[in-house]
Amino acid sequence: MSAEYISGDSPDEEIDPNEERFVASAVKSREEQLSAYKNIEIATVPLLFLLFGGISVFLFALTVGDWDFWMDWRDRRWWPLVTPFSLILLPAVLGVFTWNRFRLPIGATFAVMSFVAASWVSRVMNFQNFAGFPLNFVSPSTWVGLGVLLDCTIVITRSWFAAGFIGAFLFGLLTYTINWPIFAPFRMPIDYHGTMVTVADLMGYMYIRTAIPEYVRIIEASTLRTFGEAVTPLTAVFAGFVTILNYYLWVWVGHKILKSAWMNKVV
Amino acid sequence: MNKKFSVILLCAAFLFSFTELVFAHGEKAQQAGLRMRTMNWWDLEMTPKKLEINEVLTITGKFSPSIWWPRHMASPEDGLAFLNIGVPGPVFVRVDSRVNGVPMIRSTQFKLGETYDFEIKLKARSPGRYHVHPVISVEGTGPIIGPAYWVEVTGNQDDFENKITTLTGVVVDLETHGMKQIIGWHAFWIVIGLLWIGYWFRNFPVLMPRYREVARLGPNKAGDIITFKDMAVAIVFFGGILMAIAGSYFYTQTQYPITTPLQTGEVEVLPLPSQGDVVQLKLEKATYRIPGRSFEVKMEITNNSDSPIRLGEFMTANVRFINKDVMGTVERQDDLDLIALEGLQVEGGSIQPGETRKITLRAEDALWETMRLTSLVYDPDSRFAAMLFFFDDEGKRYHMEIGGQMMPTFS
Repeated sequence: MSAEYISGDSPDEEIDPNEERFVASAVKSREEQLSAYKNIEIATVPLLFLLFGGISVFLFALTVGDWDFWMDWRDRRWWPLVTPFSLILLPAVLGVFTWNRFRLPIGATFAVMSFVAASWVSRVMNFQNFAGFPLNFVSPSTWVGLGVLLDCTIVITRSWFAAGFIGAFLFGLLTYTINWPIFAPFRMPIDYHGTMVTVADLMGYMYIRTAIPEYVRIIEASTLRTFGEAVTPLTAVFAGFVTILNYYLWVWVGHKILKSAWMNKVV
Repeated sequence: MNKKFSVILLCAAFLFSFTELVFAHGEKAQQAGLRMRTMNWWDLEMTPKKLEINEVLTITGKFSPSIWWPRHMASPEDGLAFLNIGVPGPVFVRVDSRVNGVPMIRSTQFKLGETYDFEIKLKARSPGRYHVHPVISVEGTGPIIGPAYWVEVTGNQDDFENKITTLTGVVVDLETHGMKQIIGWHAFWIVIGLLWIGYWFRNFPVLMPRYREVARLGPNKAGDIITFKDMAVAIVFFGGILMAIAGSYFYTQTQYPITTPLQTGEVEVLPLPSQGDVVQLKLEKATYRIPGRSFEVKMEITNNSDSPIRLGEFMTANVRFINKDVMGTVERQDDLDLIALEGLQVEGGSIQPGETRKITLRAEDALWETMRLTSLVYDPDSRFAAMLFFFDDEGKRYHMEIGGQMMPTFS
């Protein structure tokens, strides 16, 4: 490997700022180079996974919060709209980074997988072990399939416009559908003291949350009921469009970040 | 430096070893005036106070939203209210809660000045000793906490059961219901995600070689790194995921053909019948003497009943001041029961039927200080409210709320 030409900065010697010296690279062969690359990846990828998991769970807690914490909050109207709107941020920014710098379509998948993993840790440690709620009542929703879909559209179309129009739209559109297998067992109806409730509603009533009275929940509060029974598909399509717009916004932000001087120093 | 730090740490640990455990739920947190003028609670009973896992604790009592409810706070008449419980998390499960016999699964409204009976049934879930409060949560205001008693739960949480039958006849265990689907579908999608990431990382290392290649090719030609095989794999994943989502949805529909959306709404609760104008009150003056921790109220009382009545209890902010001459010996239910057993003195004696008389009451006890009610003096709106309980010769009880301006005395 060739030596790199840099200015002198040895702490042991008197430094002449005008003096120039050659410093040999520590890497002597292609194998050593590959080994260094492997070590970099082994060290950085798990750290980035933890970092993005932490960031996304924090962001999600601030912007979505109770809407996704509790099974009895995930309604057909607001949950499928609010959650992809918030969650698309990191897949968009990270997608720009991994695609533009590495031509790797893994940003969205990596972001949602780190989010889901961190969510599991949070729900098990905070909600189940510390607060004592049954895990089924506070388990995370799933997003991984939607992240892979978004990444696939980048590879197939190689266009941010098309990736947003198709991938981000599907991200919002299919949020409720992909989670329906998890939600459905909690939507079975129950007659409880003469009031019809779902299993999720009943769990919300039974498992006491002193700081969350029943009226705080925002369950299908809007006038979209004028569309009859088509609440779920209408919300899904609307969520898709909203997610497209938010995706474009954060893709633009991602490009700006990549062009910034500090990012170019980091990468 | 480290030695110094260790000594400081040890000293701190030694000092903290003398502090008491904190079990507070905000009993004293709110301004005194707010606690006095929001919700009046009385007749609180909890049985049994010691129970095993799966046994049911029954809580009963009465409450009345104050007619002196502060105007700057949303009242349960303006918005919604919910009968809740103040315990540290789901250590119990609420199996029933009713106000005047109406199930309180949903939210409702309560009228100021009216009286409501409540009953809550809690099934013990976690062993421990808990300070259990009834709570009325008011939309726009927050939780208004009631009085509390200590309840001890023994046993093993693993023995706890919470099964319910759905309208379709399926028996579900709410502790574990749906976990198979949750774990199964999460695992399925995580495997898909790992396969996708694994495909791109199959020739390890990936990041640095690709980074260098992208930098070498430039933005216009960097797309050449993506091969035909990459495209084909992406198309397969894309189609496969869409099919998996659709398949999982329709499969779930066959497993759970009958589902309903989450339910919400309000219920209507009528207040208890009024006791009528048996007692009429007119406040003349209320003063709080700070050095003596003594609250004095001068008032005019008219007795419209058929029997003589006497004032037996003065209750404000969940603190009870007892007139021993009328109520005899009242037992404290536990060490934190907020009762001043001989805290109420009344000048004026009994009031005869049809008589209007001026009487003076003095509520004196250290509880004014320990429950931080003396800070009423420093409230921006120095008004108070309290519930008075009168008794006739046969022991029949009449309650009446009194409130108005309070004047402090500093010497």
